[in-house]
Amino acid sequence: MLKQLYLSTKAILRGHYTVLKHLFRKPVTEEYPEIHPFLNPKFRGVHVLENCKGCGYCKRVCPSNAITIIKDDSLPSRYSIDYSKCIFCGNCMYYCPSKSMKMTEAFEVATSNKLDLSYDVENRRM
Amino acid sequence: MNYLLCTLMEIPWLPKILAVIITSGIAFCIIISLLVLTVIALVLIERKLLGFFTQRKGPNRVGLWGVLQTTADAIKLLCKENIELKHADKILFTLAPIMAFASVIVLWCLIPYNSEFHLINSSVGILLYFFFASFPMIFHFLAGYSSNNKYSILGAYRGLALTASYSVSIIFSVLSIILITGTMDLDKIVLYQSHKWIIFSNVLGFIVFFITSLAKLNRCPFDLSEAESEIICGYHTEYSGMRFAMFFLGEYAELFVMSMLIVVLFFGGYLSPFGGYISNTFMGNCPISSYLIYFEQTIWLFIKTLIVIFSIIWIRATLPRLTQFSTLNLFWKYIIPVSMINLIIIFLVRF
Repeated sequence: MLKQLYLSTKAILRGHYTVLKHLFRKPVTEEYPEIHPFLNPKFRGVHVLENCKGCGYCKRVCPSNAITIIKDDSLPSRYSIDYSKCIFCGNCMYYCPSKSMKMTEAFEVATSNKLDLSYDVENRRM
Repeated sequence: MNYLLCTLMEIPWLPKILAVIITSGIAFCIIISLLVLTVIALVLIERKLLGFFTQRKGPNRVGLWGVLQTTADAIKLLCKENIELKHADKILFTLAPIMAFASVIVLWCLIPYNSEFHLINSSVGILLYFFFASFPMIFHFLAGYSSNNKYSILGAYRGLALTASYSVSIIFSVLSIILITGTMDLDKIVLYQSHKWIIFSNVLGFIVFFITSLAKLNRCPFDLSEAESEIICGYHTEYSGMRFAMFFLGEYAELFVMSMLIVVLFFGGYLSPFGGYISNTFMGNCPISSYLIYFEQTIWLFIKTLIVIFSIIWIRATLPRLTQFSTLNLFWKYIIPVSMINLIIIFLVRF
């Protein structure tokens, strides 16, 4: 019984010491709206297009059917992504044969209207 | 207090009963304002400290560094609706929070804040303290019983089981102090420690008293009756608005007053830990130094109390909640025998 008492007291005191150490450490809290959080270089945010040819691979691999492409001649005239469906898996970027699909660090797409979440992505010409 | 009373008594046109009422009224107002301010500060201190202990920032939005957070919370609680329950026992349901808070105010009046300011100066102060300290638990039970909610009644029963287990050991450890000092007067217990604090002659008694006071305050690791993750909020699940605020206020006021009692019983109360008073040393010739001593005594009491509260919050940040079985096991099998042995040792040493 004495050994049990000794061990439990030791464990409790060690726990107290560990917690006390935290008192003198810097807080890990990120004050988000004021300070932008640190993002991984591979972070998958809102999409951008560069020199898209409109092959439609991305539309085929998209697991949530979020991509709509309307083709005009050989180039896409309208390329829209429905962010209420998109799960930011990055499949479209991975399978793009011409590597024209990129995902940026922007992640604040929230709106008060669900219909506003579906919008056209600009196809930049380089 | 006595000086004010004597001055008022000497006024010829003032009835004596009115003088007594005015004096007690002023003292009571001081205590009530002190209570509310301390509780608001205490809740903020606890939330901030718990934040720092877990490497967070704590409340930091309202006011500078979040200092007005608890004030905003208090205003919010005052403005909220009191929900009336359909199948509750309405009289008990309303009475329970009021009485639970009122009994804590009496506890605040029993503590000697300095050598002059002692609202209820009784020769059996410590006995009165534990008489009134048992009231909140009874009214917590009545609150749980009258709510007509299964979680409330579970919390109330748990609280009763805990009360039955800690009461014996807390009284035994207090008895050991009464044996050492030979008095039940809190003022005399403080003055007894002017040379040596009681904790040095009664270490085991202090450990028992500290652990049991944690259980008495419903604090972690013994917060069985309001275990949030198990039974929502225990006895005050059904309460809202001002009634909930009364329980909340009472709980923190009891935490502060119990810490003050620990200081009074074991750490020399309002006496300076260095022997002499700072105001006496620096302003010895000044005519106001005799009045400054009273303030200094109160500040010493508060500093010691805050250290005790810091350790209580530290324990809350560290230890998980015990189960009901292991709590009862701890008290009946370990704490009560230890307190009995301590009492016998003190008895043998004294006589």
